[in-house]
Amino acid sequence: MPEIFLKNVAKSFGKVVAVDQLNLQILSNSFITLLGPSGCGKTTILRMIAGLETPTQGQISIGNRVVFDSEQGVNLPPNKREVGFLFQNYALWPHMTVYQNIAFGLENMKWGKDKIHARVKELLEMLRIEQLEQRYPSQLSGGQQQRVAIARTLAPGPKVLFMDEPLSNLDAKLRMEMRTELKRLHRETDSTFVYVTHDQQEAMTLSTMVCVIDKGRLQQYAPPLQMYNNPASVFVADFLGNPAMNFVDGHITGDGVLTFGGIGVRFTPFNAVTLGERDVVVGIRPEYIRIGDGDMEGTVYSTLPSGMETAVKLNVNGVSLTSVVFGDVDFPVDKKVRFSFNKATVLFDRDSGRSLARGALSAL
Amino acid sequence: MDAVSARRRAMKRIRGRTLAWLTKPANIVLLVFAVALTVLTLYPLLSLCAETLTIHPGREARAAQQTAGELSLYHFQRLFATRENDYSRIQFYEPLLNTLLVSVSASLIAIVFGGTVAFLVTRTNLKYVKFVSAVFTFPYIMPSWTLALFWENFFKNVNIGLKTSNGIMAAVFGVYMPEWFVYGAFPIALVLGLHYAPYAYILIGTMLRNMDANLEEAATILRTRRARIIRRITLPVVRPALMSTFLLVFASSMSAYSVPVFLGSPVRYYVLSTKMKSLMDSYPGQAYIIASVMICMGVVILLLNQRVTNSRKNYTTVTGKSSRISKINLGRANYPLAILLVVLLLLVAVTPLLTFAMESIIVKAGDYSPGNMTLDFWIGTNLEARLDQGDSTGILLNPRVWSALGYSLSLAAVSAFVAGTCGILLGYGVAKRRGSRLANLVNSLSFFPYLMPSLAFGAIYLAMSAKLPWLRGFMLLALVGSVKYLPFASRSGLNAMLQLSGEIEEAAIINGVPWWKRMLRVICPIQKTSILSGYLVPMVSCMRELSLFVLLVPTSNTLLTTMLMQYSEKGWAQFGNAINLLIIIVVLLVNFIVNKLTGASIDKGVGG
Repeated sequence: MPEIFLKNVAKSFGKVVAVDQLNLQILSNSFITLLGPSGCGKTTILRMIAGLETPTQGQISIGNRVVFDSEQGVNLPPNKREVGFLFQNYALWPHMTVYQNIAFGLENMKWGKDKIHARVKELLEMLRIEQLEQRYPSQLSGGQQQRVAIARTLAPGPKVLFMDEPLSNLDAKLRMEMRTELKRLHRETDSTFVYVTHDQQEAMTLSTMVCVIDKGRLQQYAPPLQMYNNPASVFVADFLGNPAMNFVDGHITGDGVLTFGGIGVRFTPFNAVTLGERDVVVGIRPEYIRIGDGDMEGTVYSTLPSGMETAVKLNVNGVSLTSVVFGDVDFPVDKKVRFSFNKATVLFDRDSGRSLARGALSAL
Repeated sequence: MDAVSARRRAMKRIRGRTLAWLTKPANIVLLVFAVALTVLTLYPLLSLCAETLTIHPGREARAAQQTAGELSLYHFQRLFATRENDYSRIQFYEPLLNTLLVSVSASLIAIVFGGTVAFLVTRTNLKYVKFVSAVFTFPYIMPSWTLALFWENFFKNVNIGLKTSNGIMAAVFGVYMPEWFVYGAFPIALVLGLHYAPYAYILIGTMLRNMDANLEEAATILRTRRARIIRRITLPVVRPALMSTFLLVFASSMSAYSVPVFLGSPVRYYVLSTKMKSLMDSYPGQAYIIASVMICMGVVILLLNQRVTNSRKNYTTVTGKSSRISKINLGRANYPLAILLVVLLLLVAVTPLLTFAMESIIVKAGDYSPGNMTLDFWIGTNLEARLDQGDSTGILLNPRVWSALGYSLSLAAVSAFVAGTCGILLGYGVAKRRGSRLANLVNSLSFFPYLMPSLAFGAIYLAMSAKLPWLRGFMLLALVGSVKYLPFASRSGLNAMLQLSGEIEEAAIINGVPWWKRMLRVICPIQKTSILSGYLVPMVSCMRELSLFVLLVPTSNTLLTTMLMQYSEKGWAQFGNAINLLIIIVVLLVNFIVNKLTGASIDKGVGG
């Protein structure tokens, strides 16, 4: 059952179009991420669903209830949409203690004192911040503030929870820890999470579905691994994965001979497609370039060993290719190495940037 | 031998350290200001204290039955504890209570009015916002007596006060207002409140504008009703700003002089400042005690304010990316509310000007028929033939008016230049050495003049100049003006410098750019607007200042403001109104030109 439904939603600020004709279905109990570069409109989308921003046109429904419809003139205020919202900067009320911050929303719902007390205790325990109950936000660290903000958002038990880059103000280690926490909370609370981020790794690791947005337009909407392996466009392929995918201009002939960077290989598509002869962009994930043996040769341009893996930049006939080698290995600069391609390669149309086919490369 | 060389080494070390300390321009700036400000503020303060213990010649010596120049506690005893004829009650305790009553009411009026408008402008989709925020600062830019004069002009009648003539209300509409409405606590508090409302508007509005919109949105999401959000979230977050505004308006109202003179004296309603002025001629010792009491109240308020603003740190939150506040839709109430506000603002800001214009062209007071109107008071000649009082020419043809205007303008310009420049340097020194003892000292010293009631400040400098024959005339006035307005300039200078990260200057230091060049080519251009605002506030304040200079001017023709004072004392109402209008127009014009040319505006460097 779809929990949230967006139909032809658009938003413009004056002449600037922030979101353009967006159609999106978010299933119940899913954890979806809106992913894209800054200024792509993802926060606007989130705020429109929550009711903090009014769309220029379109229709939005949450849980079978139309909350916005430009034609019918429906526009429920945020407080009537029964959603939760976690802000990037936490937005904790500075003049209230942790307890008061969490209890505030419950008081609005006219809960009894005992019931509020029990619920706040439960949340404090759930987020492991019992000892902070009587503190003020200014007396908390960033990570603690984050936990309080989550507790406050979860308190009324919203069925849908919106999060706007909630981890971007935390340091790397804390961010990792909170990711684990969020994923666990998603299971425990049994609700739908809509999460905005520009961090592809966050999107990959957290969500059940990723929605990539660029310039206010939906680029691809798919489960993270599927999107990683089968990107719909150069933009999506480039956005996912670190180090980024290698893109090399190439040419394919009618009989499947692919040339790029002075290399000639055979391209065998996984699915039966007719490519014909055309100019393409060849997309190869760094982990699918194996250094050590193989038919091709390149020069090491630079290496970035990180212990667990080493990113190696190769120069192949003036074209640079990045490869990831697992394990604590390093290569001297300017050394000649042999390499081969394995697993999948994606071909994109040179003009439109859309994906054409996925397949394997082999020596001629 | 060893001891000698050890001492030599120690000497060398100290010399090295001192030299290193002196190579930092910030240290030199602070040192110079520490010395200069001690002389210019502490010395007057101490001499004020000395005056309260000294018997002055004349009536005072005779009344005290002591010889002049003697040290005595007589003034204190006389002012605070004389039951005979209710002397202490009339001379001190009643004015004190009046001051408290008027100042508290004025602060509340300013906060309620200014705060409401600030809320409407920043948080709702009110119509005509541009007009409202532009006109709302008018009363603050205009001299504070403007509204007081307007009130009197408008409501006075022959039954009350000096019982001289009817104002517009009585003459045109035939409505005779009761005395409490026209003179005394009510109009004084109201007029001061309206005068300082823009100040509250600026302070609270800035706070509301800078407040993180997410704080309110978070409450909205948690199903909070609008009224509850305002009561439980918005108000508590801006409470420090409200408190601070309250205290600053209180301090300013407390030392206000011209408003209670116009609206209190006609019915013998005294506050501390007017009492001080009236005691100054005959019993200066007691007047100086009142001045000291006012300064003490000022210090207490300043300390309270410092505590309040320091605790504000807890309330500043990292502003998020969504500064797009969703504004409250006023719906059908929008137009009525906007129109009400516009009408109110026109009443407060524009009608005074119209009544001044009106009063300056009627021949016989109280008669507003067209046949009674003339432009003679502006451009007439040979007036003595037609009028039984006043100057022989209209003010625009009167060379003394033009020379006073020139004098006022140059005094304002010089004071603003000195105060503004010192403010920048001082801000630089304090910002660079923030937290050090010297910086704290200089910072507090520079705030002292703010606490001194203008009249008392003028009186002290008058006493000082008696001992320093070279300190006379323009120089004396410019010095007093510069010192008195330094607090505003230094505050905007300090704010400007604190906003600038240290690296900006350090990048220039690395490149070997000398200090003066760093100031002129790097720091000042970056903070141009707020630095220029630091010049504008002293300029405008000085232009309309009366009580600070009234004791110091060589003749009452010297400044436009003192000329106005002289004319209204002589009862030349038309000339007075014309000059008043001239002052207001000049002040608004200066403000407008500076604002258009540089973008600096009075609300970027608010003063008292």
